[in-house]
Amino acid sequence: MTADLTMDVVVLGGGPAGLAAASGARAAGASTLVVEREERLGGILKQCVHDGFGLLRFKERLSGPEYALREAARAMAAGAQMLLEAFVTRAERGADGRFSLDCVSREGVRRVKAKALVLATGCRERTDRQAFIHGDRPAGIFTAGLAQYLVNVQGLLPGKRAVILGSGDIGLIMARRLVLEGVEVEGVYEIKGEPSGLTRNVHQCLENYGIALSLCSTVSEVRGRRRVEGVTIARTDARQRMVAGSEQAIACDTLILSVGLIPENELALSLGVPLDSATKGPRLDQNMHTLVDGVFACGNAVQVSDLADYVSESGEIAGRAAAAFALGPLRERVLVPLKAGPGLLYAVPQFVDAASPTPVVTYFRSNSSLLEGARVTIRGSACGAILSRAYLALRPPEMERLVVPERDYTGESSIFVELEREEREAIHG
Amino acid sequence: MLVIPIAKATKKLRERFGASLEPRDDRGSLLLEGTVPSWDAKIEAGWAAARFGYHGVVNDLMVPGVCDEALEQPPLRDGALEGAYFDVAIVGGGVIGAALARELARWELSVLVLEKEYDLAVHTSGRNDGMIHDGFAASPGTKKAAYNVRGNRLWEPLCRELGIEFKRPGSLVIFRGRTSAIAYPLMVARAKENAVDGWEYWSRARLRAEEPNVHPDQHGAFFLPSAGVLSPYKATIALAENAAANGVRFSFDTCLLSMGVEGGRVASLRTNRGEFRAGVVVNAAGNWADVVAGMAGDRFFSLHQRCGTELILDINTGATQRHIMSMPSLLQVRSKTKGGGLVLTPEGNVLAGPTARERPGREDYSTSAAELRELERHLKINTKLSLSQVISYFAGVRPCSYEEDFIIEKSRRVANLVHAAGIQSPGLASAPAIAADLAAMVVDIAAGFKAVRLRARWMPHRGTKPELRRLPLEERAQAIARDGSYGRIVCRCEEVSEGEVRDSLRTLLPVYSLDAVKRRTRAGMGRCHGAFCTPRVMEIIASETGMEPCAVSKKGPGSYLCAGKTKEHKAQAAEARS
Ligand SMILES: Cc1cc2nc3c(=O)[nH]c(=O)nc-3n(C[C@H](O)[C@H](O)[C@H](O)COP(=O)(O)OP(=O)(O)OC[C@H]3O[C@@H](n4cnc5c(N)ncnc54)[C@H](O)[C@@H]3O)c2cc1C
Ligand SMILES: Cc1cc2nc3c(=O)[nH]c(=O)nc-3n(C[C@H](O)[C@H](O)[C@H](O)COP(=O)(O)OP(=O)(O)OC[C@H]3O[C@@H](n4cnc5c(N)ncnc54)[C@H](O)[C@@H]3O)c2cc1C
Repeated sequence: MTADLTMDVVVLGGGPAGLAAASGARAAGASTLVVEREERLGGILKQCVHDGFGLLRFKERLSGPEYALREAARAMAAGAQMLLEAFVTRAERGADGRFSLDCVSREGVRRVKAKALVLATGCRERTDRQAFIHGDRPAGIFTAGLAQYLVNVQGLLPGKRAVILGSGDIGLIMARRLVLEGVEVEGVYEIKGEPSGLTRNVHQCLENYGIALSLCSTVSEVRGRRRVEGVTIARTDARQRMVAGSEQAIACDTLILSVGLIPENELALSLGVPLDSATKGPRLDQNMHTLVDGVFACGNAVQVSDLADYVSESGEIAGRAAAAFALGPLRERVLVPLKAGPGLLYAVPQFVDAASPTPVVTYFRSNSSLLEGARVTIRGSACGAILSRAYLALRPPEMERLVVPERDYTGESSIFVELEREEREAIHG
Repeated sequence: MLVIPIAKATKKLRERFGASLEPRDDRGSLLLEGTVPSWDAKIEAGWAAARFGYHGVVNDLMVPGVCDEALEQPPLRDGALEGAYFDVAIVGGGVIGAALARELARWELSVLVLEKEYDLAVHTSGRNDGMIHDGFAASPGTKKAAYNVRGNRLWEPLCRELGIEFKRPGSLVIFRGRTSAIAYPLMVARAKENAVDGWEYWSRARLRAEEPNVHPDQHGAFFLPSAGVLSPYKATIALAENAAANGVRFSFDTCLLSMGVEGGRVASLRTNRGEFRAGVVVNAAGNWADVVAGMAGDRFFSLHQRCGTELILDINTGATQRHIMSMPSLLQVRSKTKGGGLVLTPEGNVLAGPTARERPGREDYSTSAAELRELERHLKINTKLSLSQVISYFAGVRPCSYEEDFIIEKSRRVANLVHAAGIQSPGLASAPAIAADLAAMVVDIAAGFKAVRLRARWMPHRGTKPELRRLPLEERAQAIARDGSYGRIVCRCEEVSEGEVRDSLRTLLPVYSLDAVKRRTRAGMGRCHGAFCTPRVMEIIASETGMEPCAVSKKGPGSYLCAGKTKEHKAQAAEARS
């Protein structure tokens, strides 16, 4: 066994969130190690060869790999250490309050001790089984992320004639990618009445390439014993149930699924970190500090984000706070719940630490499309409205961000994020 | 059993199933011809015919719109077996064929196992609960009951020799509603009659103490401590590998197409890889066993297919219960199935199932939403379970005779043919006992043409490679020090290393497909279901074999994973346009 290693902060996951966390922790003076299970840094961005990353963070249009390289270079220049192709098989808190991690890699098994942990493990894709697809089980069914890896990293073509189920962003991006690779894309089918991906992706990836998007429809059955030979498409009603008699057979050799992402929180669970049932990520405060002292989380492990820039921002916050935790004296937190009101899917963070004088970067999503305009107000139970903003429209795929400047929360028992529908005139007027 | 004369049987069958029915006594078995309106009616007629005491029911009733299924030939064509001779040919590489192969390897016999698929345990033996039943559920007096109880005792020592996991969590049949506990004395009587190894009554309080998450509306349970679990595909593969180490030959992608019978013996076997001869032929062909019997002119039974679907739950659900649990009245009680429940796999997943549905299709593994809804009810037995924990689901097909019992016997018409047919549940649990009896029959026949001696160097123990995730940290480190590839994790959910994937490709029976690696190592069986490991395993298979990554298949010929390389396709597509 390789000798033990002791760090102030250990970051699990070397995607944009973890890399930004490492930069943040180093900037605050903590010795920092990033543990990444893949052979290269960058997380999911390594395979996102399209551009559109970094407009906020780097004020430039970058491709995913370029963005990842920048983040990696920053973290390394800041002096963060990297342990690649290393897999954390066990994480535990010892009697001394330190975390102890068993990291397995080609070099052996290394026990790493840390004062603070940052979970930046990203998310995984829902599979055909988790979307309850039925029929035969041939080769040729891929999650969009796997298809993206095959095409963009390995140079392999998943098939020649594809149907895409689900209009998540990765599915939209893959529809375009496949057309560019000479694959016939038979269409994108979405069970809901509106796309799950960003409007800009619907325009740029489907409309500009003449790919049809069918809403209120889903794959009811897959056919083919060895390789996909076709799928059956059925229309769905408002409650997402298939309409009998609406089935239509489509010949294809590939089915690609973009039916949702699930934050990866197996390590968080093993450390006893409570999760939020809406985000499927840890519940945490504005410093990205989970309810377990010393465990921080950021990026897609916390909530599925549509923008790498936001992911990096959350990483930076988590990294700095983890360093402060590791280096500073133990400090009591005063957690005030931050609650998402009716009409919102969720709000992050779920708590504000009233004892911590830091701005609160709040993210939320509406649970339905409000195209007529809306107003969102952050309100304290004692002090009333803290911040309010009007929106021309809110759509569930689009994550919204509001920053509450540093302020005093003493006396507040709860903070609310409230949504009101607004008349369009009110905004224009 | 008393045989009802054919005239009387005909009258009774026509009364129920219509005048078009033409029952015949075909050399002692009952042959049904004619037309019935539905598949269900065909099955019902077969069951009814089975009560007349004939030696098997051959059900050739036609159902409008349902065609006979033909055996699909593997695409491979070579002469690998042309002109060869084996003392014994076993048709079928399921758990029965593999267990028999291992038994026969104790003897100085040349043995060949033919399997039409690319791997072992592709069909029923890889598609079940993996439960080694206690033997309580089988009807007293059946072969199923007797073989099950014997098999249950044999599996544990056998798994030690094979180096695979066997667990004995025991099974709880939970009483729902105050009145169902009245069944207890009847259950004891049946357990005694079947010679089951132990049973206990558990009070409501005891059950709650041992299974805190159990459905609240419980009134105690009947506990059967001998019920066990194992991985059915790993067991089948391990049996075969150990047989191979003792000299048995396996031929995959090899389908038996016909047999030449001369003088009341099978003289030749024709396959897609050539024609060969064998001293004894064993029919262990699972859902095709009636077709294989027909190839030798010995079709005295028909099989019908009872499909079952199972849900697999996330591996972290295993910690929420300690026993196999069923709660019969949660489902409407059906005659031909044990009703299913929650099984704990040795790895720690909970399985919910199986369902039981009669439908045509010997290899139809398609699933439906309706069946999933049926299974959802099982999840209620354990209050910590929900559909959101489902990581996958699958179906299997039980090969069933109309007597609903195993057919394990020497052919009455062909001197060197032995049948192991109708091996429905509990066929896995029974396999070691079935194999022992089959081996005795084979040796008996073989003794007629050669002196059969025990093999001097029989090796009962299978050499196994370590599963890294189960090793103590220190030993894991040592393994990685010897070979760094044991430190590179390629399946993140099940923590499988590159080294273990390579090991699985360097056995006596290597199979170079994604699903074959999955069955051997668990890579791809976790919650992400292969989204992470697929490209990595493809690359490892490619580097082990020298094939292109895009030539790697999911499950044998025709199930290609990729259509080629991106650059080449783009060029072709452009050319096609211009
Ligand atoms: C296909 C796709 C297209 C996108 N397109 C855009 C776009 O155009 N513009 C934009 O701004 N944003 C885009 N995004 C969104 C955004 O970039 C991602 O959500 C972001 O990359 C998430 O970063 P992360 O660090 O949280 O997670 P990831 O990038 O997934 O990184 C997590 C890392 O953690 C590692 N890891 C996980 N578990 C462990 C463990 N136990 N031990 C060690 N390591 C572990 C993983 O290997 C991975 O490297 C896109 C996202 C996707 C998936
Ligand atoms: C849903 C379900 C759950 C079950 N649960 C349990 C359980 O918990 N416990 C239990 O004890 N039992 C259980 N069973 C039953 C058990 O799985 C079977 O009894 C057992 O696997 C049968 O094994 P086999 O070797 O006879 O058949 P198979 O595994 O089907 O093997 C037969 C093989 O023969 C090959 N073959 C057929 N024709 C030819 C040919 N012409 N040439 C070459 N090869 C040929 C086939 O390809 C196949 O691989 C279950 C079954 C199902 C469907």
